[in-house]
Amino acid sequence: MTQFLQQMVNGIVLGATYGLIALGYTMVYGIIQLINFAHGEIFMVGAFAGLFTFARLPTALQTRPLLALPLVIVSAVVVSVTTSLLVERLAYRPLRRASRLAPLITAIGVSIALQELVRLFYPLPDGRLGAKSPVSFPRLVNGPPVDLGGVTIARVSLFVVAVAIVLMLGLQAFVRTTRTGKAMRATAQDPDTAKLMGIDTDKIIVITFAIGAALAGIAGVMQGMRFVQIDFRIGFIAGLKAFTAAVLGGIGNITGAVLGGFVLGIVEVMATQYVPKGSQWKDVWAFVVLIAVLVFRPSGLLGERVATRA
Amino acid sequence: MKRALRPLGLAGAVAAVVGCLTPWATFFFGYPGKVTLSGFPGGARLYPLILAVAAGVLLLVDVHGRRRSGLMAALGGLAIAGYNAVAIAKDGGGLGAVAFGAWLTLAGTALLAAAHSFGKEESAIAHSRFPNVKAPAPVELLIIAGSLAALLYVVVLSLKIEESTRFVSFVAFLGFAASALQRVDAFEWLQSVFDRHRQVTLGAAAIAAIAFPFTQAGSSYWLRVFASIGVFAAAAIGLNIVVGLAGLLDLGYIAFFGVGAYTGALLGSAARTTYDTHWPFLLVVLIGATVAAVFGVVIGAPTLRLRGDYLAIVTLGFGEIFRISAFNLDWLTRGPNGIAGVPDLGLGQFNFGETHQVFGVTLPGFANYYFVELVLLAAVILMFTRLNDSRIGRAWVAIREDETAAAAMGINTVRMKLLAFAMGAFIAGAAGTVNAHVAASAAPDSFTFLESILLLAAVVLGGMGTVPGALLGSAALFVLPEKLRAFQDKRLLLFGLALILMMRFRPEGIVPSRRRQRELHDEDGADAMGTVAAP
Repeated sequence: MTQFLQQMVNGIVLGATYGLIALGYTMVYGIIQLINFAHGEIFMVGAFAGLFTFARLPTALQTRPLLALPLVIVSAVVVSVTTSLLVERLAYRPLRRASRLAPLITAIGVSIALQELVRLFYPLPDGRLGAKSPVSFPRLVNGPPVDLGGVTIARVSLFVVAVAIVLMLGLQAFVRTTRTGKAMRATAQDPDTAKLMGIDTDKIIVITFAIGAALAGIAGVMQGMRFVQIDFRIGFIAGLKAFTAAVLGGIGNITGAVLGGFVLGIVEVMATQYVPKGSQWKDVWAFVVLIAVLVFRPSGLLGERVATRA
Repeated sequence: MKRALRPLGLAGAVAAVVGCLTPWATFFFGYPGKVTLSGFPGGARLYPLILAVAAGVLLLVDVHGRRRSGLMAALGGLAIAGYNAVAIAKDGGGLGAVAFGAWLTLAGTALLAAAHSFGKEESAIAHSRFPNVKAPAPVELLIIAGSLAALLYVVVLSLKIEESTRFVSFVAFLGFAASALQRVDAFEWLQSVFDRHRQVTLGAAAIAAIAFPFTQAGSSYWLRVFASIGVFAAAAIGLNIVVGLAGLLDLGYIAFFGVGAYTGALLGSAARTTYDTHWPFLLVVLIGATVAAVFGVVIGAPTLRLRGDYLAIVTLGFGEIFRISAFNLDWLTRGPNGIAGVPDLGLGQFNFGETHQVFGVTLPGFANYYFVELVLLAAVILMFTRLNDSRIGRAWVAIREDETAAAAMGINTVRMKLLAFAMGAFIAGAAGTVNAHVAASAAPDSFTFLESILLLAAVVLGGMGTVPGALLGSAALFVLPEKLRAFQDKRLLLFGLALILMMRFRPEGIVPSRRRQRELHDEDGADAMGTVAAP
């Protein structure tokens, strides 16, 4: 039983990261119906930007995580958002009226290009260029793990889940209550009518990309802190799983993305633990879940119908 | 003012020609192409020379589209000369290494470009009648033979060039020259000539392909290369059905190829497998292709009902599942090591691995595989063109352009999409089964996501929905990495950027399908597309 609860906790922590990335997928898809394949790479770029800043802080700051952490997060957000907006402006926007296939292929190109740029040109602290092998990441949130009746939770995991929940609630409130949030909902529902009502839809799309990228950047730092190392490939597989989470929750639905993230995290951890030889198949469970959802409930847990949206 | 442009441009052409005949480097330091000698256009100097002459001629002769064509040629000369000057300065340790000839060429081509870009707005001939010009039949046949020979020569030459800088110059030359030719409608005209003599063209191409092994004097290197290109191209054409015709994005296509390869290895009496099966090759190819098609239906059936975007992700997932399964299912696939020792093919008494004597010429073992690939490729091309011209092909294109409208016209969209998906999988399976014998093994490392992306890149860069496009794309993706060793590390980065740029500026690919090009570039067509794509 303790083991089960422990795995449950691990699954929730894992799912928090998936959920944060999934929000970016779900919001962009909700507004322009584009699967932004490059979103996982935005997450990876954020992690590397955070590390870049940390490695160049004076030692006095490096040893004080509480002062260093905000700087790391801010730089991750800035770089992620900048990258994402550049990609939107240069690669996606010119194709807004093109056939459906073109932006998808472009997104794959962007994803490969971003991975390769980091692999070849990321400036390591020792002056060499290129993060060809995994690089270590600071834990930043230290301290003894919390013990809840046999279930141990690392401090950093608690921090990750707390940050994720705060951000999700904040985003939910933003979309529900602010004027911009209302404009976003209108654009998602019907971009042409929204434009007629005086909404600058291009601006709304940019804001959507920016919010998604900011969340992905933060998720990147969280991932680095939890696994204490990052490499240029982390975005690809994390992006796929986050997309699965978004579909699982019902694509276009913010609460759904978060819920999907948690469910997927728990499923993955449980399957790895309890299915014989489950760890060999660690990266397969997400796809099995994805295919199962598409077969039995394509609208996702909380979504509306998508089958007719051709 | 404008009147002065033509003499100025001609002076530029003369300057560029003289520049190409004089040294480009001040001293000898091993830069390829004897660029320190004068009197002949050695090395990369030949390319700006040709382009400058062409641009100069276009100043004098009035044909439709000459301004943009001449500008392209002049810019090409400028780009190649500039690139080589930079490379010479870098290798020779500073600008001092760049000799007078290079500067003269740069100045001359720049003048030419200026003359063309500020010249008369358009030629006096408003509409090009060139594509409709007919020559006497013997002349047209000679032109066909000549252009096929030129194509072959270009291929051989590009394989022969060793140095990276020279190869880049050559590729740039091909690109700019092709683009200049296209702007005077030369390709459209060639196409119409080919169409008038379709059988002759196909016959000549077939004879050239069959004769090729006899010219290799028993060496198997190029046969091996061409056989590999052939199997890659066959798979690319299969993917072209799915992506190019039906407009479904498949990101795990290599998995179907892998299914075929493993089937071939398991049933084709491989040395290192747990099962001892010895089935005849032709049967195994059919089984491999069918198994792959069944997988295609199993994957496609649930997802093809939904929005097309989901298919991309699910196929990607299937590709990963296939690779991880091949890695983990030791009892079937022998895990990470894969199945090695797939034997040479045998049909009856004929062993494909042995050397044979035909008409007194010794053919190495690989020539047999070259012919096998040729047959496979021919079958796949036949399948593709027949499907494309059929009711099914038109249904696919209709679905690609507007699914709702296609359904309203009475097309069973789910069934048609499933058919396209299964057909693509079938072809990939067949190619994979053959490849198991050619490569003599099947291992999970050969079926990564990257391989799927390479195939997709071959289709997208070459031209979606056309056979020549897929062939050209596969050949380019195979040859370029071999040649650009200097860029080896940046290969993937270049792929990524190429995909982005291609979608942005030339979504129809290098060899566009004519139907597609009309849609993408025609004024009315562009409008129609815009309205269709709006959500």
